[in-house]
Amino acid sequence: MAENISKAEMNAELETDKAIAAEAAAQAAGGHNVDDEKKHPVVLETHGVTIQFGGLTAVDHASIKVRKGRITALIGPNGAGKTTLFNAVSGVYIPTSGEVLLNGEHLEGKRGFQINEAGISRTYQVINLFRSMTVLENVMVGMHTRLKSNFFSDLFNTKKRREEDAEAREKAHEWLKFVGLDEFANAPAGSLSYGKQRLLEIVRGLASDPQVILLDEPAAGMNSTEKLELDALLKQILNMGYTILIVEHDMKLIMNISDYIYVLYHGALLAEGTPEEIQANPDVIAAYLGGEDDVI
Amino acid sequence: MAVFKILLINGLVIGAIYGLIALGYSLVYRASGLMSFVQGDMVTIGAYLGITFYRVLGLPFAISFVLTFACAFGFGMLLERGVIRVLLSRNVIPIYIVLATIAIQYIIQNTAQAFYGSVTQRFPSVFPNKTTLTVLGVTAQTEAYLALVVSIILMILLHFFMTKTKFGTAMRGSAMDAMAAESVGINTSLSTGVTWGLSAGIASLAGMLLGPMYGVYTTLGATIGRKGFAGAVVGGYGNMYGAMVGGLLLGLVETFVSGYWSGTYKNMVAYIILLLFLLVKPTGIFNESAIQDV
Amino acid sequence: MKMNSKKLLPIIIGAVVLLVLPFLAQMITGNDYWVLILCTMLIYVIAVSGLDILFGYSGQISLGHASFYVIAAYTTGLLNNYFNIPLIITIPCGAIFAAILGAALAYPASRLKFHFLSLATVAFGEITYYFLYTSPGGFTNDYKGINIRTISFLGGSYTRWYFWLLLWAIVFVVAKIFIVNSRTGRAFIAIRENTHAADGMGVNVQKYKILAFAISAFYVGFAGTMYAHLYKYISPETARQKQSVLFLTMMLFGGSGSIVGSMIGVVIIEILLELIRPLQEYQMLLYGILLLIVIIALPGGIVGGVRDVMADRAKRKLQKEEEGGAQNG
Repeated sequence: MAENISKAEMNAELETDKAIAAEAAAQAAGGHNVDDEKKHPVVLETHGVTIQFGGLTAVDHASIKVRKGRITALIGPNGAGKTTLFNAVSGVYIPTSGEVLLNGEHLEGKRGFQINEAGISRTYQVINLFRSMTVLENVMVGMHTRLKSNFFSDLFNTKKRREEDAEAREKAHEWLKFVGLDEFANAPAGSLSYGKQRLLEIVRGLASDPQVILLDEPAAGMNSTEKLELDALLKQILNMGYTILIVEHDMKLIMNISDYIYVLYHGALLAEGTPEEIQANPDVIAAYLGGEDDVI
Repeated sequence: MAVFKILLINGLVIGAIYGLIALGYSLVYRASGLMSFVQGDMVTIGAYLGITFYRVLGLPFAISFVLTFACAFGFGMLLERGVIRVLLSRNVIPIYIVLATIAIQYIIQNTAQAFYGSVTQRFPSVFPNKTTLTVLGVTAQTEAYLALVVSIILMILLHFFMTKTKFGTAMRGSAMDAMAAESVGINTSLSTGVTWGLSAGIASLAGMLLGPMYGVYTTLGATIGRKGFAGAVVGGYGNMYGAMVGGLLLGLVETFVSGYWSGTYKNMVAYIILLLFLLVKPTGIFNESAIQDV
Repeated sequence: MKMNSKKLLPIIIGAVVLLVLPFLAQMITGNDYWVLILCTMLIYVIAVSGLDILFGYSGQISLGHASFYVIAAYTTGLLNNYFNIPLIITIPCGAIFAAILGAALAYPASRLKFHFLSLATVAFGEITYYFLYTSPGGFTNDYKGINIRTISFLGGSYTRWYFWLLLWAIVFVVAKIFIVNSRTGRAFIAIRENTHAADGMGVNVQKYKILAFAISAFYVGFAGTMYAHLYKYISPETARQKQSVLFLTMMLFGGSGSIVGSMIGVVIIEILLELIRPLQEYQMLLYGILLLIVIIALPGGIVGGVRDVMADRAKRKLQKEEEGGAQNG
């Protein structure tokens, strides 16, 4: 896969490598969080977001921070409100109260397409591809907000539009190469295997060059090899300079890749911290053991 | 005042008929989440069946009434079993199912034309010895009063059937949550079929009641059916009581407009009301939220 | 798009056929009637292509598109009859007015679920019909319909009309090709495929739904103006559901969501209608049966059916090759 990564991405990788080295040096010198926070400023944050359906509170005063260039994870037992919080951030639901801020800009109450335009892209728990469009076209729809052509330039098929379109096509191919799907570029998206559809959703989300990408259970339905590949892929995406907010049930994956974890329980925040801190947190362990499914 | 009374009675009569059709739309929507364009043409089928039994075969009106209901009920079930369910099981896009009902609508209209021709057929009077009746000082065709009384009785019967009988409860249950209903032992497949049969049956009776007043022609039901749909939307689509209220309301408005203003705008008014409700208040009077896309 | 000789040859053949077709029809039948039918087909190609942008690409249904056809026809006819405004202005006015009405209807209607949308468009069609039928002050000449001038430089020659309409059909079809293969077209298809995800990917769903409605109303409206000037007459009757369902049947039978599908549908159904002209009262039965065939047996229309057969053949060929390869190895 390495040979598929473009030059810019390589550079980004180098940059981040340098950053990591610098960070390690800083930590060794004892100067802990201050530098880290400078290098990874908060991009996306929620302040006391509450979501109610009728009388039911699905999310209760959730405040989270997503730092640039980091993987932030949202975990919790089934029904803890993770996807609901995701939907509030991406504009599917309007929070009953609370704020959602992207670089200080208020997002709450904005519609889904406006939030994508503002710089938040996402994938879905249940795969939501444009099934009869080709794999390539799916990625190109992902670029919708970044393309400038309008109805009239489309109608008259202007030179500028054609150039932009060719460029977008080229870029889409690169994205597909990045996840190894380029050979299926002209196949209908619905014909891909389940794991490949998940990958396609991820690059479709990345194609808009978002400031934060929300991944809703990207490993669901993947086998263990695919999960390993996903693990590596997420790290690569991070190295390219992207910021990830992830909801996932696979604890092994989460503990391995996350920089910071928030635990939701019955809609409220139960704990937050680094993977090590979360794993050692007695409340979290109790919640999971008392809960119905996954064990850490 | 005399004009007002006449219009009131006329409005109630046609409104009650719209209410019956609207009820059928709502029942089908509750059971299958679909809209069937055939609903209106069941009125046509009912009217022609009525002619066949009552005029051609010379059976008594009451017996013709029951036979018509039975035939239409069977047709409705057949439609659900033979076409709608087949299409649903094939996962065709929902628009195609609506289009299929349009296609069936045309086939019904043309088949009726093949049997009875394109001229309006006379539906013989139900009360040949007393063609008009005076109630509260308003003299009208006896069949108009019959239509009003029978429609109201049908609505009451349906209300009791749906709320008080075991089968009605089962139908409501499976319409609300098919899986839950299955799990408590309700035969949802049967109840969906019966719902379609019932709404077809009711519409056919509306046709039999209209026949003596309007005469019978192939597109009788198509127009009435759209008005009934408008009634269902006005009341709140999918709501049984909303359908009745919406139908009555539409009938009254339409009749008063044509009485006090101009008959030429009668049809337009109904469609404008439908369009306004669809566009401005899609949840209808009873605030039913079935119509809007997420 | 690059043209190689393999692609160029069918285009040249097609062009030659289109050029000689009216003369051929005249020669065979000895009169102009089939040239008029060819003209009608070209008008329908424009209308059905427009409807396809709405249904086949953006996934919205309309059972009232004939009203845009008729509204545009009346607009050009009345403007010209009453105010003597030249047709070169009134024709675009008709199409633009149809597009504006389309957008106005779509603005609130785009939020409706499909079957209610279909009924809203039916209601729109009926309102148009009744309005034209009994207009205030009778300015639409009511049920009698209006007589309309022909386009003068085309005169009464159907052959000239044929080439004029051929030109416009090409313009509109090419514009459709451009639209559906662009960012706009991808947004339409994304909405059809998955409205929820389209919103999530930054597509302003309501805006594009309205745009699709306006574009298709423009297509149908332009076709309506051509129809009116060709037949020199339009009446409210054309606004009714029958005409809308004719467009829909043509589109679905040929194959929706396809450039050639709309054309094939128009040609086949128009010919069928001519063949059953003696049994005109059963025209609706034909629509009914054709629609049922499409829905039950041929959901992708003719184009979809052919595509399936070709895909199947390609698959089998591939399998055979693989088997052959395996044996050799």
